[in-house]
Amino acid sequence: MKNRGATILAIIGAALLILPLVVHDTFVLRVLTEGVMWIGLAIAFDVIAGYTGYLNFGHGAFFGIGAYTIGILMMQANLPFWAALPAGGVAAAIVALIAGIPTLRLKGAYFAIATWALSRAIQQLALNVEFTGGPDGMRLEAFLNPQFFYYLMLITVGGTFAILWYLLERAPFGLKLKAIREDEEGAKALGLNPTKLKMQSFILSALPTGILGGIYAYWITFIDPSSTLGDLVSDQAVVMVVFGGMGTLFGPALGAILIFAFKTIFWAYLSDFQLLYLIILGALIAISVIFIPNGLWGTMVKRKAGAARPQQNAEPVSEPAALSAVAAPEEGN
Amino acid sequence: MMELLPQALTDGILLGGIYITIAIAFSLTYGVMHVIDFAVGEWIMFGAFTGYYLNKWTGLDPFLFLPVIFVLYFGVGYVIQPVIHRVLSGTKGNPFLMGLVFTFGLAIMFRGLALTAFGFYSNSIPSAFSEGSFNLEPLGLTVTIPTVRLVGLAYALAITLILHYLLKKTNFGLGVRALAQHKDAAGLMGVNSKRTGSYVYGIYVGISAMTGVLLGCILSIGAQMGNEYTIFAFFVVVLAGMGYLAGVPWAALLLGLVQSIFMIYFNPSHTLLAVFAILYIILLISPRGLFGKGV
Repeated sequence: MKNRGATILAIIGAALLILPLVVHDTFVLRVLTEGVMWIGLAIAFDVIAGYTGYLNFGHGAFFGIGAYTIGILMMQANLPFWAALPAGGVAAAIVALIAGIPTLRLKGAYFAIATWALSRAIQQLALNVEFTGGPDGMRLEAFLNPQFFYYLMLITVGGTFAILWYLLERAPFGLKLKAIREDEEGAKALGLNPTKLKMQSFILSALPTGILGGIYAYWITFIDPSSTLGDLVSDQAVVMVVFGGMGTLFGPALGAILIFAFKTIFWAYLSDFQLLYLIILGALIAISVIFIPNGLWGTMVKRKAGAARPQQNAEPVSEPAALSAVAAPEEGN
Repeated sequence: MMELLPQALTDGILLGGIYITIAIAFSLTYGVMHVIDFAVGEWIMFGAFTGYYLNKWTGLDPFLFLPVIFVLYFGVGYVIQPVIHRVLSGTKGNPFLMGLVFTFGLAIMFRGLALTAFGFYSNSIPSAFSEGSFNLEPLGLTVTIPTVRLVGLAYALAITLILHYLLKKTNFGLGVRALAQHKDAAGLMGVNSKRTGSYVYGIYVGISAMTGVLLGCILSIGAQMGNEYTIFAFFVVVLAGMGYLAGVPWAALLLGLVQSIFMIYFNPSHTLLAVFAILYIILLISPRGLFGKGV
């Protein structure tokens, strides 16, 4: 079965690689590029949210920081794109480090609030300082080559996926993160250092997000506080991961594809009702939480496992999570 | 510049007094349900708009509507809470994470609904008190006190006293405190966590909506006001120490002071940055709040 999965992945990868040779429509290529980007943003978000169990409601801040770093370095320091691109990721990682120091020592609720407040504060900062262009945004020099950006995005997201797959699903690092998610005190008792691991996972989540933001800025050539730092980026990341399935890599990818396809169709046909999109996003989060708490992917995998072993109920797996949630309020820091 | 300082401090205390009510209700909900409600600002916004439209349609003073709005939103909260309870007591996935995500989703949905229904305009609610003000002259300094802010503060104090009475003197309050201390043990002692949770959530939503009307009379209302107040509510609760009620009034007053000082001395649009900077420093130095008594 593992071989079949690998084969399917290889086929999808090959199809994505040769696609631009077949499809010459710029609009289609543009939609695909953005779709690939959202897969990257969703899986990066899931590193801290799904695997580590710390919700970052301000994921969009890293995207915007990456975009602005590239914009400022290219337009004001006259650096070439390739020199500026890593800086976008590094800037996002540094902000994650600074924001993580006080918040990651604490319980998840503090982290969720603090990251969300941070993203709002950074947006306000971008609106109010000179070098970002304030509310008018920033224009980058245009490099109009849709194929270039498609491949760049594909390689970045593919590389991110592969690295995260290795770290989270193959190396012990992923298991350590899951241990923290299920029972932080227990993980500590086993000799893990939760604060350090959470920090690593937060940086691992921020770094690719910043790089993707940088590519986005150079691709779209225009960035402003509402498009890159607004709450829509964070909100969409949350909905993609929750709907697709937290704590997996394929779940967020699936969620990203479905939600992005929906968004594209919605904005193409119902562009007058953009606020309705916000309502649907919110409703979708709430409905997924109630009806498919494991997300689409998690539900599918579980159903398959359940069909293979009808006698064994999968319930006990989630027991530690329920226990730790009950015990959480009494834990001191 | 210095002659403005007494005015800034007065404004800040009057405004901070109003934040006390939201923050206490918010903190209480956290204590009982152990979930951070990301929709707190949206409840405030909905309350403000309900007051605005009731005033428009009936022409009566918004202060008269406060009880009506409380009852209305108490009902809304009472109906919604079981859903949150279900999410929190689920066995699939991580219920705590799911609870956070759920209220986050609600907040997005509510914001979308409000923007659709009310647009991007900002308004203020007219009240009989909004025009009046009087001057105090302590120590030769003139301080103007707008009547509406004073009435708002009186309301906030009344609510705080009622909540205090409810919590400390009634059986219901005993149950709430027991639940906050230990959910399972409280359940064994016969506290119905489901129903008590619904009441507490209803009270919190009702108070937030009522306070929204006051804030609409004093400052302004708009469909996007929710974001700001959600951050303010968090600020107060984190500063006080999560779940530590006695610290809430001081943190709320501090927030009011920060806000009014920024309005008078600096750029008001930097308020959020200042609030965040303070939040960050507090979390860094004393993560359990100013008094070190949070959970």
